[in-house]
Amino acid sequence: MKTRVELWVRLKVIDLVTQTARMTLAEKLNFADTLRGMTHYWYWGMDAEGTDAKGALDEIDRVIRLDGAFTNQNKHLYRLAGEREPVRGDLALEKDFAVSGPAVSGAAGGASGPGATGGGLFAFDCLVREKRPDRETGFAERLNGRLRGVAVSNMKYGEVWRLIVSAPSSDAALADVERMLVSRSRREGLLLNPHYQLYEIIATTRIEAGKSTGSARTKE
Amino acid sequence: MKNPLKDTIVVIQFPGVNCEYETAAAVRSIGLGVAIFRWNEAPSLLDDCTGIIIPGGFSYQDRIRAGVVAAKDRIMDKVAELARGGKPVLGICNGAQVLVESGLIPGIHWEKVDLALAPNVMADREGYYCNWVHLKKEKSDCLWTKGFHDGEVIPVPIAHAEGRFVTEDAGVLAAMKKNDQIALRYCDPAGAVIESFPVNPNGSVENIAGVSNREGNVLAMMPHPERATWLRQVPEDLGGPWGRKRRGAAGEAARMEDEGPGRRFFAALRDGKGGAR
Repeated sequence: MKTRVELWVRLKVIDLVTQTARMTLAEKLNFADTLRGMTHYWYWGMDAEGTDAKGALDEIDRVIRLDGAFTNQNKHLYRLAGEREPVRGDLALEKDFAVSGPAVSGAAGGASGPGATGGGLFAFDCLVREKRPDRETGFAERLNGRLRGVAVSNMKYGEVWRLIVSAPSSDAALADVERMLVSRSRREGLLLNPHYQLYEIIATTRIEAGKSTGSARTKE
Repeated sequence: MKNPLKDTIVVIQFPGVNCEYETAAAVRSIGLGVAIFRWNEAPSLLDDCTGIIIPGGFSYQDRIRAGVVAAKDRIMDKVAELARGGKPVLGICNGAQVLVESGLIPGIHWEKVDLALAPNVMADREGYYCNWVHLKKEKSDCLWTKGFHDGEVIPVPIAHAEGRFVTEDAGVLAAMKKNDQIALRYCDPAGAVIESFPVNPNGSVENIAGVSNREGNVLAMMPHPERATWLRQVPEDLGGPWGRKRRGAAGEAARMEDEGPGRRFFAALRDGKGGAR
């Protein structure tokens, strides 16, 4: 049977790349009042085919824990998840919603996902990938060379930037996120160059007042 | 008080660059004054300099994407202003990445990012690649290449992981060609422009190794001319006339200090061949 599997990895220690990105966005691109939180991950998504979903996930877990191309447990946390299977690993994505600045105001509890009305804090998980699939193919080949009884395909690899922004509405928040992402000029955009990279928003979360965890994770 | 940078070539030292001293030595070798300028010094000091070089290395540790953080720095506001006014600006390797990410190159749409220097695409390998390659000087009004004749083959070293010139905008590529902005292409030792690796060492579109702005005063090039400034820097086993010259000088210390193939990029300034259109 085939199941969709996601692997998320991030550093255990302070991520200086993220610090630099956040400072650049805040201080050089004028998002100091908008950008309230930021986390960086490496991401792999793939279809896994084996006799059963649990066995496939267990086997992928065994291999990625031994292969530094995916995770190095000395310095990384990881989260391996498949459909309807318990999550493997030690990365709690749902806790990565730390924000800085004044308390959330105007957030209407219960609203979530794009199109929600009212202002507040919104988190967007933005997957940035290269337009050439070479590296994704390479990761699939690497895994398939090590897996026993499981095959992976449709590999998607990139970096995820979780951007938490304060905005009067989710639409305004999304517009800000797009301006942070795409380098269109010296004064606009940072996190990807559209001439060889692309992005997709793979999850959107409304952060409710008084909580630092995501509510609904909405796939788009 | 006299500006200490008056009449000097300035090499900008962003945090993480590592070629500033060799680049300064290359400028000194042609008899021009040179100063290494920290990125966070007063930008107005650059007003009276003769030209600006952004050297190779890893500005800001290549965080996010090579060159992009430096491209957003305050000092680049001044570099852009001076470049627009005709001041000669050269970006070498990481410096080229800074110029591309800042929109100064190709500069067809002012400050718009019209190009990328993407990760290398090479046969049977990926990532960083370091070797001597050959460049063909193309017909161009670029002042930094005026010391070479059209079609001349120039051996120089490259050392990068993200050097693939690419654009999603076919109109930009067409405009670059129409404006003669493609100043340098990768070629074989005989001058043949061959698309495949290793002649094209990173998969650059149209074998592009260097792009100038329309006016010709700004050049972004991935190869390192400062590492080919003296004959002693040329490898003994290099093919072509420069390799023969190097082998002929073996054992003669004075001849080893002769000019190398990359020095003329810098000498164009001294020889008065510069000057924006």
